[in-house]
Amino acid sequence: MEVSERTAGGVKVIALGGRLDAYAANDIERKLDSLVASEKVRLVVDLGQLDYISSSGLRVLLGALKKAREQQGDIVLSGLQPYVKEIFEISGFTQLFKMFDKTEEAIISYQQEK
Amino acid sequence: MNVSVSDILIDLVKTASVVVVFAYIVTRTRFFSDILNKQFNIRNQVIAVLLFGGLSIFGTYGGITLPSGAIANIRDLGPIVAGLFCGPLVGLGAGLIGGIHRYFLGGFVALPCSLATIIAGLLGGMIYLLRKKEFPRLWQAILFAAGMELFHMGLTLLLARPYDQALAVVQEVIVPMTGANAAGVAIFALIIHNLVIERRTAAEKEKYRRDLERKEFEIETARRIQQGFLPEATPRLDGFDLGAFSLPALEVGGDFYDFIPIDRDKWGLVIADVSGKGFPAALFMALSRMCVRANAMGMSTASEAIRIANKLICHDAKSGMFVTLFYTLLDLKRRRITYVNAGHNPPLLFRGNTGGVVLLGARGIALGVLDNIDLEEVQLDLDSNDTVVFYTDGVTEAINAKEEQFGQERLIKLVVENSHLSAGSLVEKVKSEVVAFSIGQPQFDDFTLVVLKAL
Repeated sequence: MEVSERTAGGVKVIALGGRLDAYAANDIERKLDSLVASEKVRLVVDLGQLDYISSSGLRVLLGALKKAREQQGDIVLSGLQPYVKEIFEISGFTQLFKMFDKTEEAIISYQQEK
Repeated sequence: MNVSVSDILIDLVKTASVVVVFAYIVTRTRFFSDILNKQFNIRNQVIAVLLFGGLSIFGTYGGITLPSGAIANIRDLGPIVAGLFCGPLVGLGAGLIGGIHRYFLGGFVALPCSLATIIAGLLGGMIYLLRKKEFPRLWQAILFAAGMELFHMGLTLLLARPYDQALAVVQEVIVPMTGANAAGVAIFALIIHNLVIERRTAAEKEKYRRDLERKEFEIETARRIQQGFLPEATPRLDGFDLGAFSLPALEVGGDFYDFIPIDRDKWGLVIADVSGKGFPAALFMALSRMCVRANAMGMSTASEAIRIANKLICHDAKSGMFVTLFYTLLDLKRRRITYVNAGHNPPLLFRGNTGGVVLLGARGIALGVLDNIDLEEVQLDLDSNDTVVFYTDGVTEAINAKEEQFGQERLIKLVVENSHLSAGSLVEKVKSEVVAFSIGQPQFDDFTLVVLKAL
């Protein structure tokens, strides 16, 4: 599982690549928890390089979203590949997360909120 | 008397052998292990006194014969070891045996030699008490033995008369005796230290083994409890045939299925997959199953039952746990299903008449995610030879050696080709195909399959 982080225009971006399954879930959960711990966090999770996500992976993203929203923050997703998108659609998680094709669009959406 | 160097060496080896064998055997006996455990009953102490006293007597004779004919004896060894490892009483007792025996052998050094042996045992015991019954370290034991022998020599010079002869004897034996007794004590100390470490390791191993056994027992119990949550057998339904199978990836899992009697003609069929696996998933599975079951029995419609169950589950869903679930209300009389899909993989409906396959999707979302959810309810009539295959993603996401997934396509093909089988046989067929596909790979996810056939 590849993970990289950056900040762009006041928005945190974390890019996940590879497989987000039960084995990768714990590490990613800790990572995301530390990112959403602060108030009003604005996080983009870039899934452009993510090939596979299991229900453990969905759980981690959902847990982070719940925590972020408790603190008036938010998480949006970008660049989902068709297979990953299908999993989001089947589980109904498309109703929970705002999704963008490109990471830049996701960042701009945050900036326009202000 | 003519003693060669090789004679001295042979003596040395003989004496050392006796000491090693004695040390090894004595330290392996019951009474000594009791003493190591600080169980000093009279019986143990008497045995120790006799054994180490015996060693002391052996030490008087079995020393090393020097070129002059004088013997560098190891009489003090037994009492020293007895004192250091068994305390002052045993040390004194062993010292008395060796010392009194030596006294009655006579000679001009009889008094200092016997006294030194008795004092050696007593002092060894004092050190044992001073160290609060902890055994001395190797170097401490060696140092003490060497010091004891020097004291022995001093006592001889002080008490034995004529002084000249005493001095001559002391000059000759001081180095070999100090060395021999120190070496002897070192042998004992090493063997006893090893024994203590051995026993400690064995005790830790034993504790670890017990812990593991207890955990395994708990896991096994949990597994059996969870197995008990699944229907023991598929119910007999008028005009329908049911088959089901579930296997967790770990000892316990998050998948489940359920058959719920609603009324005379209606059954609720559930298949569900909790996010994650293992114990967290298993706990959440137990909660979800109860919520769904309780609500399904009381509610008139499928969507209402699951909507209320979701509210309850949501209340307890911290840290992002959720469950995808497909609920089917089967009307036996009308031969109709009404279903809701809460974020679950759409089941396959194989139409026996046309040979077509339909995916049973409906708008919905996994349970435990949002408090208020909207679930689309879909109604379908079943004809004879229609087959519905409900499954969890452990089936389609099973991986082979090339990291390819079993996938929906393979599953559909399998169902179409084997639609003539009974529900139970079709479950077996899919199970064995998936197992064969992913042979050599660890089971990645819980695996659950339910087949409903309209007869």
